[in-house]
Amino acid sequence: MNPPTFEYFAPTGIDEVIDILAKYPGEAKILAGGQSIIPLLKSRISSIPYLVSLSEVKGLSYIDEGSEGVRIGAMTIDSDLENSDLVKKRFPILHDATEQLADPLVRNVGTIGGNLSHADPANDLPAVMIALGARFTLRGKGGSREVEAKDFFLDTFTTALEPEEVLTEINIPFWGKKSGGAYVKFKKNTWNFSVAAVAVQLELDGNRCRKAHIATTSVSPKSGRMEKAEKALIGAELNDHAISKAAAEVATSSEPVSDSYGPEEYKREILRRITREAINKALSRAGGN
Amino acid sequence: MELSEKLVRGEGRFVDDIQMPGMLYLGFARSQYARAKILKISGAHLTHKEVNFEVVEVGEGATEGGPTALSHPVLANGYVGYVGQPVAAVYSDDRYTAEDLIDSVEIEYEPLKAIVDPEESLKREAMYPGVRSNAIVDRYFGKEFTPDPSDIVIERRLVNRRIATNPIEPRGIVAAYDGNKLTVWVSTQSAHSIKEGLSEALKMEPDRIRVVQVDTGGAFGLKGGLFPEYVVACYLAMKERRPVKWIETRREHLLASRPGRGVVANLKLYAKRDGTITGLKGDVIVDNGAFTGGSGEFSPMFIARQLAGAYYLPNAHVRALSVLTNKAPQGPYRGAGRPEAMYFIERLVDGLADELKMDPVELRLINAAKETYTSPLGMQVEKSRAFLESAIKELDYEKYKEKENVGFAFLILYHATAGGESARIKVEDGRLKVWTGGNAHGQRHDIFIKTLLKEELGVSEDLVDALKGDTDQLQDGVGAWGSRSSMVLSSAVIVAARKIKEQIEKKHGKYTLKALLDGNWDEYEFFKYDKTESSLGANLVTADVDGYGRVRVKECLSYYDAGRVLDPDNARGQNAGGAVQGIGQTLSEELAFDEDGLPLITSISDAGVLSADLVPKFGIKFHKSESPLPSKAKGIGEAPTIGVPIALSRAIEKATGKLIVETPIKPEYLLPAGKD
Repeated sequence: MNPPTFEYFAPTGIDEVIDILAKYPGEAKILAGGQSIIPLLKSRISSIPYLVSLSEVKGLSYIDEGSEGVRIGAMTIDSDLENSDLVKKRFPILHDATEQLADPLVRNVGTIGGNLSHADPANDLPAVMIALGARFTLRGKGGSREVEAKDFFLDTFTTALEPEEVLTEINIPFWGKKSGGAYVKFKKNTWNFSVAAVAVQLELDGNRCRKAHIATTSVSPKSGRMEKAEKALIGAELNDHAISKAAAEVATSSEPVSDSYGPEEYKREILRRITREAINKALSRAGGN
Repeated sequence: MELSEKLVRGEGRFVDDIQMPGMLYLGFARSQYARAKILKISGAHLTHKEVNFEVVEVGEGATEGGPTALSHPVLANGYVGYVGQPVAAVYSDDRYTAEDLIDSVEIEYEPLKAIVDPEESLKREAMYPGVRSNAIVDRYFGKEFTPDPSDIVIERRLVNRRIATNPIEPRGIVAAYDGNKLTVWVSTQSAHSIKEGLSEALKMEPDRIRVVQVDTGGAFGLKGGLFPEYVVACYLAMKERRPVKWIETRREHLLASRPGRGVVANLKLYAKRDGTITGLKGDVIVDNGAFTGGSGEFSPMFIARQLAGAYYLPNAHVRALSVLTNKAPQGPYRGAGRPEAMYFIERLVDGLADELKMDPVELRLINAAKETYTSPLGMQVEKSRAFLESAIKELDYEKYKEKENVGFAFLILYHATAGGESARIKVEDGRLKVWTGGNAHGQRHDIFIKTLLKEELGVSEDLVDALKGDTDQLQDGVGAWGSRSSMVLSSAVIVAARKIKEQIEKKHGKYTLKALLDGNWDEYEFFKYDKTESSLGANLVTADVDGYGRVRVKECLSYYDAGRVLDPDNARGQNAGGAVQGIGQTLSEELAFDEDGLPLITSISDAGVLSADLVPKFGIKFHKSESPLPSKAKGIGEAPTIGVPIALSRAIEKATGKLIVETPIKPEYLLPAGKD
């Protein structure tokens, strides 16, 4: 199929991008890697009158290590994250996710900013960023503001971005010394979305859990923190009992629906099992058992 | 250059590559409802009022006779029977505008309660006025018999759910008209069946229609016949005197092409305690869809007749039904009734082995036909025991049995040899041009045509042009399906070559290559053949299932009787491709519908097609028992889609201990119980 008519802009400066967004509020959308928006247009599920490409804007693709954390430019492609030694060393959870994100063709074009801004609850990176406690820089008419990942995703395909704002940077803070995370994804074949996936990031205090962030993919209208499950871990010794309890909490508090990926109960059960797997993996990476 | 090399280099010329000045792009507004009356259509260029033709089926499995109340209207005639049915057509100078126009067509419906499940359909009101029953086929095969009360009975409800054929290239056509002659370029398995179908639908003299097959990017049975969209494209080309192009989108393919399988069987297999099969009873129900014009009028009979498998079956009584449902018409898909029949009998045989606590392959040996005979269901079953004995050895079954979750399939493949095939060889300017009634749509017909001409005439491969189907170059032809080309098409080429040789001998006293290449020769041969040939095959598949119920197919081995193997590389390619489709059918491919008949699968990513990471290691060995045809070959194109689902289902049964009765096997069914 072919998309309905749209006007295409490829400005070279971010201010110009924001000007165009402001000129057509709600009708203009950012085109980053196009891995979600192009299929939506081509299948005529969406119609977008004005597309503003970021491809000509310089300086939006980087992975920089600072003293407090890592800053990632919004136009950084998924395969750059996948192949980054820094990401692999400091945030193995993000390496897990980018290595399994769709297929290599998508990863070579798809961007972190696009993956997050699209706010598809089946996209992998929202849950990972929530688990990591990342902060997003949003540029608009009046300058920049920062939003926490957990407050960015409002609903399916809906974010805290104002119509004239652009996500420009993702800032992931370093976690404590005994910390680690994992992203476990269950999918039927390479190119498809997941049946369910879960992101777990832990910090240990001796053999007890000091901090825990858990977020899911594909099983709720939006990715968000699974606070009940986190509570089952925080302060606890991460033995089988605590892990099972947290996994059961994740399964219970998720909201999967029956569809061609499987019935609701199946998805819950998969989620429960992959959550156990993810907590164990995160624990071992944090230097626990 | 070989055809396959040309295609791999990106030098193929597919139907969507054709550009002509003044070309119109055609699009279809399609039904949103599975079953509804149409109250009003506005904003369309063409509706049934103007284009009131019906499509009569053509291609493999075609039955005789003209349009009936159940024929597929080219554009909906006051009612719709499935989501995706073409209701109205629009066209424009460019494809983008044509797609905009589709969105602007407004159709008012009065929805009716859809009939989705074939077994429920038998209990529901007739789908159309004037139709007595929703069973459009209801026939018995074999003879009623009284089983011995001491016999063991294995009873199963077995299901092969609907799947899309999903060739890489969807359906497509370009039509042009010069005031007298209609020329059609089409992605097809048979130029001649498209010509015949168009002539009937448009009521045009056949000699005013030329059909040319362009490079065809996969077909798998789908592209054997004519479709409503093609008739509209031709009508419009004649009306506007402009070339018209229609290219199917993947979404249209998933909604409104002719999906395969969609068969339920309720069967009882009877046997003695020693494992000897004594009889088979039950029914086979084909989910026909809403109209004829697919293969639903033919497939239940074809399935029922093959249910003896490769075994000796003394008694059988099977009812074969095809039932109306609010879905697109069922069509042939690689094997077209063969995989269903073998799946049903083979699952029963595995069930019997479990009941008797026997080795399933040992049980197959007991029941393999010792002599060729005609089964009570009507098909000739060739003697199969000796083949099975060598298959067990060649596939190293005893070794795998010890170490792996192994499944074994024993199959008979009935080739669509009946009807024969045509070929024409024309020699001019020192080169040979060859046209054949069937042509490659993903295979490599050109290779064996060149091999055979080298053998027959001593002419080197680079002097032969194996050309695509063209009804103006070849007066008659059948098509490429049913594992037939290596048998009847190759034989037509051989006979045509021998005719030229004879002529040269007559003229020059003896045959020389120089006389061939210096002369002008032109021979057409319609190789007539009335018999349905068959060949035996076996598959061995090993698989593991992990703690999440995920299946990992490890090895997929084939042992097929290919007769003389004309092109080993192509045979290996056919084996791998067919096996991938067989695995896809078993694990994930399905066109699912909700209770209102709305399709749940509208994107290729959800259609369950296997991705490369799930493809196992393949192996094939050939059994070479020559066929009685001049080419001595036997077709194997459909063997893997028959054998692999059977063997894989059994391997999964071994791995999980769960009874497998359906394809695809739902992942949730395989999920092992939680340990905590």
